[in-house]
Amino acid sequence: MTKRQNPKRNRAFAIEQIVPEAEGYLIVDPKKCTGCGSCMLACSLAHEGKVNPAFSRIQIISDPLGYFPTDIQMAVCKQCLYPQCLIVCPTEALHIDKEHMNVRGIDREKCIGCQKCMHACPFVPSRIFFDVNQKKAFKCDLCKAAPYRKKKSGQACVEICPVNAIKFSAKTPFPLGENGYTKNLRGDGWKQFGLPTD
Amino acid sequence: MYGFTGKILRVNLTNQSTSTLNTADYEEWVGGHGIATAVFFDLMQDKLVSAFDPGNTLVLMSGLFAGTLVPGASRVEMVGIQSQSYPIEWFGRSSIGGHFPAMLKFAGFDGIVIEGAAENPTWIDIIDGNVEFKDAAGMWGLDTEETQRVIFSQVCGEINTRKQPNVKADNMTRWPCALVIGPAGENLSRIASVQHSAGPAFGQGGFGGVWGSKKLKAISVFGTGSVAVADPGKLLQETMRFRKKYGADFDNPTVSDWQEYITSHFGGHPGRGGAIFDNQRRAHGCYGCHMNCRPKTSIGIGTGAICKKGRFYQKFELAKRGRVTEISGKATKLCDRLGINAYVIDVDINYLNTLRQKGVLGPGKEIDTDLDFDQLGEAEFIGDYLHKIAHRKGIGAILAEGVARAAAKWGRLEEDLASGTLPLLPWGYPIHYDPRTEVYWGYASLVSSRDINCHDFNAISYWIPNLDVAAGKTPVVSAAQASEIIAEKCRPYNDPLMIDFGDDNMYSIHMARTTAWLLHYSLFWKQSCGLCDNAFADFINPYAPDNKGLTPDGEIAFFRAVTGKKMSFENSMEIGRKIFTLNRAIWALQGRHRDMEKFADYIYDIPSEGIVMVPGRSPSYFMPVRENGQWDYKNVVPRNLNRDRVEEWKSIFYELEGWDVNTGNPLKNTLEAMGLQSVINVLQKNDKL
Repeated sequence: MTKRQNPKRNRAFAIEQIVPEAEGYLIVDPKKCTGCGSCMLACSLAHEGKVNPAFSRIQIISDPLGYFPTDIQMAVCKQCLYPQCLIVCPTEALHIDKEHMNVRGIDREKCIGCQKCMHACPFVPSRIFFDVNQKKAFKCDLCKAAPYRKKKSGQACVEICPVNAIKFSAKTPFPLGENGYTKNLRGDGWKQFGLPTD
Repeated sequence: MYGFTGKILRVNLTNQSTSTLNTADYEEWVGGHGIATAVFFDLMQDKLVSAFDPGNTLVLMSGLFAGTLVPGASRVEMVGIQSQSYPIEWFGRSSIGGHFPAMLKFAGFDGIVIEGAAENPTWIDIIDGNVEFKDAAGMWGLDTEETQRVIFSQVCGEINTRKQPNVKADNMTRWPCALVIGPAGENLSRIASVQHSAGPAFGQGGFGGVWGSKKLKAISVFGTGSVAVADPGKLLQETMRFRKKYGADFDNPTVSDWQEYITSHFGGHPGRGGAIFDNQRRAHGCYGCHMNCRPKTSIGIGTGAICKKGRFYQKFELAKRGRVTEISGKATKLCDRLGINAYVIDVDINYLNTLRQKGVLGPGKEIDTDLDFDQLGEAEFIGDYLHKIAHRKGIGAILAEGVARAAAKWGRLEEDLASGTLPLLPWGYPIHYDPRTEVYWGYASLVSSRDINCHDFNAISYWIPNLDVAAGKTPVVSAAQASEIIAEKCRPYNDPLMIDFGDDNMYSIHMARTTAWLLHYSLFWKQSCGLCDNAFADFINPYAPDNKGLTPDGEIAFFRAVTGKKMSFENSMEIGRKIFTLNRAIWALQGRHRDMEKFADYIYDIPSEGIVMVPGRSPSYFMPVRENGQWDYKNVVPRNLNRDRVEEWKSIFYELEGWDVNTGNPLKNTLEAMGLQSVINVLQKNDKL
C-alpha cells in the first residue's frame, strides 16, 4: 500500500496541509523560573476548581537537589505547527479551536481516553496529560476553559508567575524547536538582585 | 473541610501499625501548630517523658493554607518534647517550608503523628494514602542528601531518566518530598535537624535527635490528590490582587537593603547576600511562594541557605582569608548534609574561641580538644568541627548536647552567662535579637520554650532604622508614621506605643501588648495557617500605597477564600491566644513556674553595646522611640534590663493573658472562657490550677 492509499496517512497528510498556526504561545525562561510551582497551582485551580499540580496543564520539573540551570525544566504545550497529537486522534477530540487563537484543544466529550495523543507528543514529558479517573486527556488551552478564573483574558500561569518567567506571545516562535520557546526574560530588574542575566 | 484532606495519619513505630484521625475533630484549632498541639495534648498522656523516650509523641501538621495557592504559605509544623531546650526539655515547635507541606496533602494526609520507636532503622514511604514502613539499614549513616537520593531512586524508579512513579496517573512530573535525618540525628545530637530537600530544615528544637532515638531515618511523601478550597475563583483573584499590589516587582524592583533579610515583609525579594560566591544561581521558592528568597546555585553549595544559616561562617572566613568564598557555602552545606542545626554554630564557635583565648580550651587544657583554631575560617576547621559533633568524636561528644549543656558540664555555665561570654536567650538558645534592645523578642522567648524567631516587629525595630538611619539615609517611613501604621494594623490593641523602645516603655503594658500580639498573631496566622514568617506580618511595604502593608486585610481575604468562613481579625487573635494558652498548660504540666522565667544575668548586668552597622562607626542600635511627645529613631544603647522591672512586666503580661501572676499558669476562668474544660480537668488532676 502506498502512502496515498493509507487512509490514516492520508488524513495526516491532509491535516499537515490545512492546520492553521496557533495565534498564542507560552514563552518561558527556565533560568528565571524559581520552581515555586505557583503556575501549576493556579492552572489546576483555574481549570478544575481544586488545587492539584497533577491537573496542571503546565508542569515544572524541579530536581530539589539539582544544580542551576539544569535543575528545572518548564514543560509547556508548544501549540505545534504540525501537531502530532491532533493527527493521531481517532475521534477528532483534538481539534483546532478557531474561536480561541487556534489553540490545539481537546473536546472532552469526544475524547475516548485512548491516550494516543499523549504518546504522539514529541516532547518529554508529554504535554498532554491524562485524568485517570475520568479517562480523559487534557492539555493547555491557553485558559479557554478555565471556569474558575474570573478574568477572561490572558492566562493564569502568566499572570500568577511572581517573576514573569512565563510570557504570552501571539507570534509563532522561531525556530520551532526548544530554542524558539525558551527566551531570556531576565532584564535589568533581575540584575539588581545579583542574579545572572546572560 | 476546605484546605485539608480530612485525615491525619497516625503511625506507631514500635509495632509498625497505622491508623488515622479525623482532621475535622480538631477544626477549632485551625491547622498546623494549633491542631498539632491539641493532638499532642490528647494523645500524650504523660507529658513528663524525656525527649528521647519512645513515649515522646511528635506531631507533624501542615498549615491550613499549605498547597492552596495562598502566597508564602507552604509550611508544616512539628511539635513534641524537644531535646534542645535547657535545663528542661520543654514541649516545643519547629517548622519548615519547601514543597513537603503541600505534597503531604496531595499524598492524602494533613498531618502525621509519630508514636513509639522502631527497633531497627526505618523509613516511611507514603504514596497516595498508602503507607509502608521500610528498612532503613542501608541508609543509616548516609548524609541527608545521599539519603534523599536513595529515596528518590526507590520511589521514582529510574531517577536519571526522570521517570515518575506510575501512581494513579502517568503524567506526574514531580519528585517525592522527603524529611530525613543525617548522622547527627542518628547519634542523638540535641542540635540535630530534620532536613528537607536542599535548605529547609526543622532546625531549632533538636527534633533530629528525637527522630534518631526513634530510629526514624526518613519520611517520604508523594501524591496526586487535590486540596479543595471554598471559593477557587476568589482565591485566584485575591492571590493575584495582593501579589500585584504588595509583592515585589521583579522586573522593576524597589531594592532596599532591609528587604533582603528574613524580617516579615510581603514585598521582600531574593537576598543579594545569599551564595555570593556563585554568580550563576537562581532565586528559588517554596510551593506557591511569591518571594523566592532561597538561592539555588550552579555548584550545589549554598543552595537553599538563607539569612544566618547561609552566612554563619562568612565572618570567620572574612577574618581569616579577607574574602568570602565557597568555603562559607560549604560550611552551610555540611551542616545540612550532616543534619546539624546551622543556626547555633557561630555562637558556639565564638564561645569556644573565647575560652581558647582565655587559656581554658585547647590541647592539654582544662577543656581538652585538638580543634585547630588557627584554621578557623578555613574549610578544614569547620569540616573537623562539624564531623566531630555529628559523630560525637572528641569535644564533639559534649558539643552535640548543645552549648548550654556543654558549658554546664564544664562547670562554666553560670559564670559565662553572667559575663555574657556565652550569650544565650532563655532556655539555652543562642542569642538572636538582643533582649536588651528588642525586648519583645526576649520576652516572647522567655514565656515560650525557644528562641521565638517571629520577625513581625523586627523590620521596623531593627532593620529599617539600623540600615537606613545609621547610614544617614532616609528610612521608607518615619518613626511617627511607623507608629501610626502599627496602631492601625495591630488590632485589637491599636496602640502606637507598642513600638516605643524607649527605656521606660520596656516594662509597660504597651510592650506586654507587643509581645502578646506577636505570639497570638504568629500562632494563628503563621504557625497554624502556615503563613511564612519572611512575608507576614506585613506592616511596612514600599510597593503599597502609603507604604502600608497588607496586614490584616490580606490574611482575612485568604482565610475566607480558602475556608468560606468569615473571620474577624480580632477573633483570629483570640484563637491565637487560645493556642498559646494550650501551650502554656502543657508547660505547666511539665513543671513550668514563674520563677523559672528569668533571663541570663548578663541581660540584667551587662549593657548591650549595639552593633557596628557602618564600618568605622561606633556600635549603635537605632529604634523607634517616643520622647517628649515626639517620635524619632534613636540610638538606645548602651542598655541593660532591670531585674525588678522585668518581674513587674511579667505580672502585667500574665494578667493580660489571663494567667496566675504567682505561678504563671493559666487561670481556671481563662480556660473556661475558652471552652477548654478538658484542659481544666487535666490541670486540676495534676494540681496545676
